[in-house]
Amino acid sequence: MRPLTEVETKTFFEKLAKYIGRNITHLIDRGDDTYCFRLHRDRVYYVSESVMRKATSVGRDQLISLGICFGKFTKTGKFRMHVTCLDYIAQYAKHKVWIKPNGEMPFLYGNHVVKAHIGRVTEDTPEHQGVIVYSMTDVPLGFGVTARSTSDTRKMEPTAIVVFHQADIGEYLRQEDTLF
Amino acid sequence: MDVSGVLEAHKQKFKSIAVEGKLIPVQYDLGLLAAFDENPVDTAELNRNKDEYLQALSRDNAQLLFNEIFQLQTISDDNGVMAMLPTPTTLLPREKPLPKPKPETRWEKFAKAKGIVNRKKERMVYDDASGEYKPRWGYKAINDDGTKDWIIEVPAGANPMEDQYGARREAKKERIDKNDKRRQRNMEEAAVATKMDQKAVNKGDRPNMDNVRSMKRREIENQILISKSSTASAGKFDASIKGDLKPKGIKRQFESTITDMSKEKAGNMSILDRVVGKNGEDLVNVRKAIKSTKSRH
Repeated sequence: MRPLTEVETKTFFEKLAKYIGRNITHLIDRGDDTYCFRLHRDRVYYVSESVMRKATSVGRDQLISLGICFGKFTKTGKFRMHVTCLDYIAQYAKHKVWIKPNGEMPFLYGNHVVKAHIGRVTEDTPEHQGVIVYSMTDVPLGFGVTARSTSDTRKMEPTAIVVFHQADIGEYLRQEDTLF
Repeated sequence: MDVSGVLEAHKQKFKSIAVEGKLIPVQYDLGLLAAFDENPVDTAELNRNKDEYLQALSRDNAQLLFNEIFQLQTISDDNGVMAMLPTPTTLLPREKPLPKPKPETRWEKFAKAKGIVNRKKERMVYDDASGEYKPRWGYKAINDDGTKDWIIEVPAGANPMEDQYGARREAKKERIDKNDKRRQRNMEEAAVATKMDQKAVNKGDRPNMDNVRSMKRREIENQILISKSSTASAGKFDASIKGDLKPKGIKRQFESTITDMSKEKAGNMSILDRVVGKNGEDLVNVRKAIKSTKSRH
């Protein structure tokens, strides 16, 4: 376990900013407690200072996980977000997509979101923007990246992909052993 | 007048210059003004009265040394009488280790195996044509490899229009280049051989050409690394190239796990400022603003 280096922090924030933009500030500077990002075995954990201090007494090999896993660094140095961070980024999301009940299951099985399943979209969402996918009852289901801007989607066919799948809560079952 | 009594009295005041009781004769190296007394020390006497014994011993040996010096040939000039010291005989150990034998070139090795002995030839040779002595080789040499002939016969089967002078010059250049290549190879092999196990070299093992190449490669890599860090920013802000060399043996340094939280927070904030600023995300959503102004008109 160690703090992120400057380069790592930059890569991590760049990815995170795609979803929540400047709201990362609220993760770094919280009113209630001191939280920090820590790297352990290529994974970035969002953890309170007190828990982190306690975790230092656990050996590197014995420490499985701590705090909330935000994702992991790939071997090529890119950052990949995990669905475990959904609760945090859903709070501060700038752009959202709501999907109809008949589109929930396809998305939760890891498929992209087609236009026919879209119920509502945040206005003026640009192309390739990170969005949070909600059910119509405002339950966050996962996140993805828009294929087209909101205005462009109007002209598209109902079967066209609007949001590329990135992560969904179905992964809690499908990737249980590698997620945390 | 008999002065022998006075002289005798005067003599009594000083110790005798003759020293007795040396079982092993004292060795001298007068060139270094040194005497070596190998006689064993009388330990009983030494323990009883150390200072007196040591003083007596050194006085005796010094006396012996002076006796020897006074027997040397002398010269006298304005400064007085001086003894001529012989060259020192004591061999002092060498300060530096013996130089290692030079690695043999390929030719030297071959000549040794074949029993070819290099015979010395004179540097200057008589030139019949000019009637002068000329160097055997080098500048203004007698043997100009036929490039200075005023006429050249066209060899049988050769193109008559071909420049024979040019051909000879070309041939000479090729010979020089070839020799230069071999010289280079010898130098490379010698460089590796000096780093090789000395026993293997003495046994006659030729440095492996793979070693030569790998050493060359290492040298070039080193130079690349040096040149990379020779920019104004010591290479920090240079664009990294894929598959580029990385300096070996440099360990990564990380912040300690438990640090000053406020400092870490400030660091994260400054990185965030840079990241979000770069993405062009501003307080004003430009796209939305344009749209709303358009609809208002």
